[in-house]
Amino acid sequence: MDTMELIALVIFIGVYGFIMSERIHRTVAAMVGASLVLLINIVPWEKVPKYLDLDTILLLAGMMVVVNVARESGLFEYIAIKTAKLSKGSPMKVLLLFSVVTAVVSAFLDNVTTVLLLTPMLLYITKRMDVNPIPFLLSEVFASNIGGTATLIGDPPNIMIGSAAGLSFNEFLFNMGPIALVDLFATVGIIYLAYRAEMNAHKENEEGIRMTIMSLDENDAIRDPVLFKKSITVLVGVIIGFFFHDRLGVEPAVIALTGASVLLLWSGASPEHALEKVEWATLFFFGGLFIIVGSLVETGAIAQIANWMVSHIHSEGEAVLVISWFSAFSSAVVDNIPFTATMIPLIKAMGTQLNTYPLWWALSLGACLGGNGTAIGASANVVVIGIAHREGIRITFGDFLKVGMAIMVTTVAIGTAIIWLRYVGL
Amino acid sequence: MGMSWLHDIILRKFNDIAGTRYEEILKAYKNFFLTEEELVIPEINSILLAFDRFSCRVSEDVYETISAFENVSLQVVYVIDEGVLRMIRETLGEEAAEEFKEKEVAFAEDFLREVEKKLGELNFKFSRKIAFGDKAEYVEDLSEEYDLLVISRRYGSETTKTHRVSPVVFRIVQHVEKPVILY
Repeated sequence: MDTMELIALVIFIGVYGFIMSERIHRTVAAMVGASLVLLINIVPWEKVPKYLDLDTILLLAGMMVVVNVARESGLFEYIAIKTAKLSKGSPMKVLLLFSVVTAVVSAFLDNVTTVLLLTPMLLYITKRMDVNPIPFLLSEVFASNIGGTATLIGDPPNIMIGSAAGLSFNEFLFNMGPIALVDLFATVGIIYLAYRAEMNAHKENEEGIRMTIMSLDENDAIRDPVLFKKSITVLVGVIIGFFFHDRLGVEPAVIALTGASVLLLWSGASPEHALEKVEWATLFFFGGLFIIVGSLVETGAIAQIANWMVSHIHSEGEAVLVISWFSAFSSAVVDNIPFTATMIPLIKAMGTQLNTYPLWWALSLGACLGGNGTAIGASANVVVIGIAHREGIRITFGDFLKVGMAIMVTTVAIGTAIIWLRYVGL
Repeated sequence: MGMSWLHDIILRKFNDIAGTRYEEILKAYKNFFLTEEELVIPEINSILLAFDRFSCRVSEDVYETISAFENVSLQVVYVIDEGVLRMIRETLGEEAAEEFKEKEVAFAEDFLREVEKKLGELNFKFSRKIAFGDKAEYVEDLSEEYDLLVISRRYGSETTKTHRVSPVVFRIVQHVEKPVILY
């Protein structure tokens, strides 16, 4: 191991440590690490564009603009009220419908925005039903992470994998969609079995609960009817664009940026206001991370680890198992974004001796669903637990771990089995 | 200490991730969520309907609203201003005061006859009385015994051409702790 490789590894491990400990903001940790590898010239300046994955960064930025402009219209509150009314105050229907809606919305929008917008409504309904809100909140979190697994744009690891491996939106939907669907219903089933005793609303209050929920008017949520219609049109257009991006020969990032531009132009929304709400901290986090991981590629560290792994793994089947389970348990503990950023060049390097196509699905499966394992496994978990804490509902790390691990193991097992059957065979 | 440090990490992360976004979302939701107070439906078993010579006729909407409460007992009271009666007695004498009183009571009887007829049609159980006293104080004291007060916005004063609600009613509404239907 040469000196540069050692320095790159120390910086990489140091940044990982800071990200995990949360002692300093993850974006700052990634920026400091990236600055160091650039200063020491481990990654030469002219190679920055190669490592800076603009597909991922611009896709995220484009979708953030679309979502933030659409949010102003009240679109997501409208969806939340519609879902609440469909449930008619039945706890089981609330559990199922909110899980399905959360999963579907998360498949197309970022998970944090989805849970931020749906959780207040879920808390309101559970309070009216006078039931324990914890199973409903947990189900929402799990559904959000599972829904994100289904599409190329559902979760940042998928965006990164899609960009690195050149996988299309439809390939993701075809490979990960069925897994997400089976996993979602398995999750709702497990939550129901674990908490069924606490999910019964008082019979005598049923009519009052139903009336309170039905008295909500979804039209009250629409703050700007014109923007509301334009937002729906553009969102639908963007999603249709994703379905056809590979046939059109256009990158998903271009679809997202076009959607953002069209919405800004058509709605007349202030670009300053819309861009102010883009999560620049997240985008810089990605940028910094890509450069740090680039330093490991540049020094040959990734190639050495990949060679070591390939020498111990003898087939695609073994690789699928190792990658999916290793990714799942790792993502349960560390942020799945840096984890995926590290695994991508590793899998690419394994491509010299193995067919990597099924391995990308194994990575997506583990990185996205591993987030369900612990309370800090995914951003959506943290947001919902944070909101619950604000509302006086305490979900401890241990409480989450018990259910989260069961869900994670079940969903990853289902996913691995489906990938195995599809690409390895019996 | 246990796993509390992990919980601290979660709360720190929540601030990083959600920040002020959650506050904005909550504000938007508050526009159509019912508040805790709005959700508590008070139990109504007895209703006080207070009238005087300035009160408007009870509208059909009000009758319809109080019809929603089942097995409720109603008290109908017509208040004649004792202060005016005393003033007439002191300035114009006992005879003038008696004449004023008779006229006021006759007016009250006419007014209440119509109310009683309507309440009878709606099958309400009710009792009625004509009382003498301070219009505000009398209703404030009596309303403590009832779950709901129904009162006209012109009660206590006809000077509602500039103000839609009479000052006496303003005072009553501020002092009573019971829900009030103002018509």
